Amino acid sequence: MAEHNYDYDVLVLGSGPGGYVAAIRAAQLGLKTAIVERENLGGVCLNWGCIPKKSLLHNAEVLETLLEAEDFGFTFENLQVDFGSAIKRSLGVVSRQTKGVAFLMRKNKIDVLEGQGVFQDPHTIEVTPAEINPDAPARTVSAANIIIATGGRARPLPGVEFDGERVLQYRHAMRLAEKPESLIVIGAGAIGMELGYFYSTYGTKLTVVELLDRVLPNEDPEVSSEVAKAFKAKGINLLTGVRTEAVEVSDSGVTVTVRNMQDDSTSSVEAAKVLVAINIVPNTENLGLEAAGVQTDERGYVKVDAVMRTNVPHIYSIGDCTGKMPLAHVASAMGITAAETIADVETLPIPDEKYKFMPRCTYCKPEVASMGMTEAQAKEAGYEVNVGKFPFLPNGKAQALGVKSGFVKIVADAKYGEILGAHMVGPDVTELLPELSLAQFMEITPAEIARTVHAHPTLSEVIMEAAHAVEGHPIHM
Amino acid sequence: MPKLGESVIEGQVARWLKAPGDQVEKLEPLLEISTDKIDTEVPAPASGVLLQILVAEGETVDAGVTLAFIGQPGEELAQPVPTTAAAPTAPPTGAPAASFPADPAPTIAQRPTGRAFISPVVSRMAAEHSVDLAQVPGTGLNGRITKKDMVAFLENGAAPPVLSAQRTSIASSPSAGWALNEDETLHPLTSMRRAIAQHMVQSKAVSPHVTTLFEVDMTATVRHREAHKEAFATRGLHLTYTAYFVMATAAALAAHPRVNSRFREDGIVQSRRVHLGIAVALNDGLIVPVLRDADEKNLQGVARALNDLTNQARSGTLMADATRGGTFTMTNHGTSGSLLGTPIINQPQAGILGIGAIVKRPVVRSAAASLLPSADDAIVIRPMCYLSFTFDHRVLDGAEADRFVAHIKEQLETWI
Ligand SMILES: Cc1cc2nc3c(=O)[nH]c(=O)nc-3n(C[C@H](O)[C@H](O)[C@H](O)COP(=O)(O)OP(=O)(O)OC[C@H]3O[C@@H](n4cnc5c(N)ncnc54)[C@H](O)[C@@H]3O)c2cc1C
Repeated sequence: MAEHNYDYDVLVLGSGPGGYVAAIRAAQLGLKTAIVERENLGGVCLNWGCIPKKSLLHNAEVLETLLEAEDFGFTFENLQVDFGSAIKRSLGVVSRQTKGVAFLMRKNKIDVLEGQGVFQDPHTIEVTPAEINPDAPARTVSAANIIIATGGRARPLPGVEFDGERVLQYRHAMRLAEKPESLIVIGAGAIGMELGYFYSTYGTKLTVVELLDRVLPNEDPEVSSEVAKAFKAKGINLLTGVRTEAVEVSDSGVTVTVRNMQDDSTSSVEAAKVLVAINIVPNTENLGLEAAGVQTDERGYVKVDAVMRTNVPHIYSIGDCTGKMPLAHVASAMGITAAETIADVETLPIPDEKYKFMPRCTYCKPEVASMGMTEAQAKEAGYEVNVGKFPFLPNGKAQALGVKSGFVKIVADAKYGEILGAHMVGPDVTELLPELSLAQFMEITPAEIARTVHAHPTLSEVIMEAAHAVEGHPIHM
Repeated sequence: MPKLGESVIEGQVARWLKAPGDQVEKLEPLLEISTDKIDTEVPAPASGVLLQILVAEGETVDAGVTLAFIGQPGEELAQPVPTTAAAPTAPPTGAPAASFPADPAPTIAQRPTGRAFISPVVSRMAAEHSVDLAQVPGTGLNGRITKKDMVAFLENGAAPPVLSAQRTSIASSPSAGWALNEDETLHPLTSMRRAIAQHMVQSKAVSPHVTTLFEVDMTATVRHREAHKEAFATRGLHLTYTAYFVMATAAALAAHPRVNSRFREDGIVQSRRVHLGIAVALNDGLIVPVLRDADEKNLQGVARALNDLTNQARSGTLMADATRGGTFTMTNHGTSGSLLGTPIINQPQAGILGIGAIVKRPVVRSAAASLLPSADDAIVIRPMCYLSFTFDHRVLDGAEADRFVAHIKEQLETWI
């Protein structure tokens, strides 16, 4: 407005994959943009989450290949495994990635304001020095539009504090100096399963504790049981359908007491350390949201509409702090929608029903990738469905890799062929998912996928076969 | 497509007078076509049932192209024939009708219909429900029709409510795909042009527009401005007539809050605050900055805000949110000489006020109460101005709309 004179068109709070992507999109659209960050650029994803984790998991895969080398005719003695190198390599990857974000900020002329940001009023943020740079000047900046992208942090078990020594959260687990002799992971979601797989491969004796009746409880039940089979084969102790009753810390380790939800019996497991991986809490307290008039729900998540607007029209929110779906690529997609809405250019709103079609990946071995509804969910939503499922076992490439398990399952609407869901477990399935995501987005049906010629021999042929199976006639079955 | 003259090589299907399935008699009017030379009705060449229409309304095709098939009741066409409507309808064939044989090849199939991509899911739905996809508003990227749009269309026969940040397709007329001829050049749309086009098409599609017209004797206002404009100039302010129109309109909006509102499926949303959008012409296009709380400002405040907004709009330095949140819009098209206009509503508002040029005109003034000729009648010369108020008939009815404009008129005619 005429009488207003703000420092910036857009101010982004938090530089995770939500915030930094929103800032770049806003700057591309000609808006004067700044980003406030109290830690390293890149947020949880680049510093503590997706990126270091993927690096560690690759180490585990290499190690697993070495351990199975005899199957391929290689024998060697005296294999030396240095755990510290795995962590060190992951930190190198992190450092290159965060430098990349800094470069993108400079390239797009985005001001990076180091410090903790707090709302003073709906258009003003006070930035006070934080550990990233204690000598940075305190300052007050104003903006016509503000995007809250402050992310979240690990949720503790009630009454059990993270001490970094015995009771760990992901930040600790990502940077241990030595591999623990034994580890209990509480929570069999993606993070728990991935870090568990990493440590187990490096030789840690692992127990996974899950309240619901199966691992990866958000996935298709057949996918869960395929992963459970593989974990058990690695000697991992899986306790599902049990509630954690107590965590006791002693000098020598931890004891976790669990109650079996079926027969109500209790038992306990001991280990050197316990990793709590049960979801997140949003970073929305101490943010001055009251001063801005921004509403949160009872759990503290910022409420937003399909174009990421909060109840205050010029304030937006994206990513983990909205509680929509705590994944990096979702945060980025939300950021792009928010920036485009602010710039008033064409955008693609994300109404609530679209989140279930966002890709969901778990990078343990076997990998898991899915999007959309399971067969049961689709039926519950009132669809008549056709399901096509095809295993990796007969696939030539999978056999060459020595893979014997896993499958691709496609759930489609029987009437119009719309793809309602895809569920995959097996080799590199996280890299195979985008074909189905694109098909779902463009409303392509399994008929077109089946007719699209897929190169031979590749793993992607299994998607083609599953699509044929939806149509009722897989070729190699 | 009949060849209607030596130099007529193509024609446009203006209107089909029969629908597929209708019985037609030989020589009964079947469709209307228009060419650059002549508009005419085309009679049916044979009796029977209209089996399939191949060329949709609004499409232009070469002379000789098959337009439709007429056959026997229940007759199935043996081979699929592409239609210009994007929907693959049931595959019929049969005896060509309304065709004056020349080249039976349906060249129309290669013509783009202005829509880039129809997904397999959408085309299956369209086929099942025999939907003409040209009628379905798309809300996907680049106006693509999604399954959700189809579901909404089939449920209400209308577009789903459009989010402000979502855009409707501007390619809503079949002309969008017409090929260029050698005398034409294509100027790609600027993003502003595209935005204006989208807003205008969407507005006309969403609200039923009605326009009411008043004339105002501006003598009192002109007198006031003449008396004060120098004093304003010494304060660095340019006192325009627009400022007076803003003042009068804002006061009338505050007094008639029903006009300061917008339509929603569940009710009429009235705003307690008056944020007046003012259309500002730019080199290529138009922008509508918003004067917030216009009813709370005095003439000087309005003049200052107007000066700022128009300067910023023309220099491209408007704040990102300066065009947001308007509750009503005014357009002073009189500044470019126009006497009267019928502007299009700026969605989602309920109305828009158009202001014509102020010109001296002879008008009749009379002390007599009667409309009959009287010795008291006199012709005088007065600065006159037309006000046109276009409103959303879903929100307002004529009488209410007229009371609103009358209130503006009264203020302008009695300004002191
Ligand atoms: C171990 C682990 C593995 C994961 N793996 C994956 C994966 O493989 N794939 C995937 O998609 N997702 C993964 N995630 C989730 C992913 O990391 C998050 O969804 C993503 O980082 C969310 O992005 P964001 O921008 O919303 O917030 P964040 O990445 O949390 O960033 C928020 C930023 O805001 C800063 N901040 C907060 N408050 C303030 C303030 N007041 N002032 C200044 N700065 C502030 C924080 O310091 C932080 O840098 C993983 C998460 C974890 C923990």
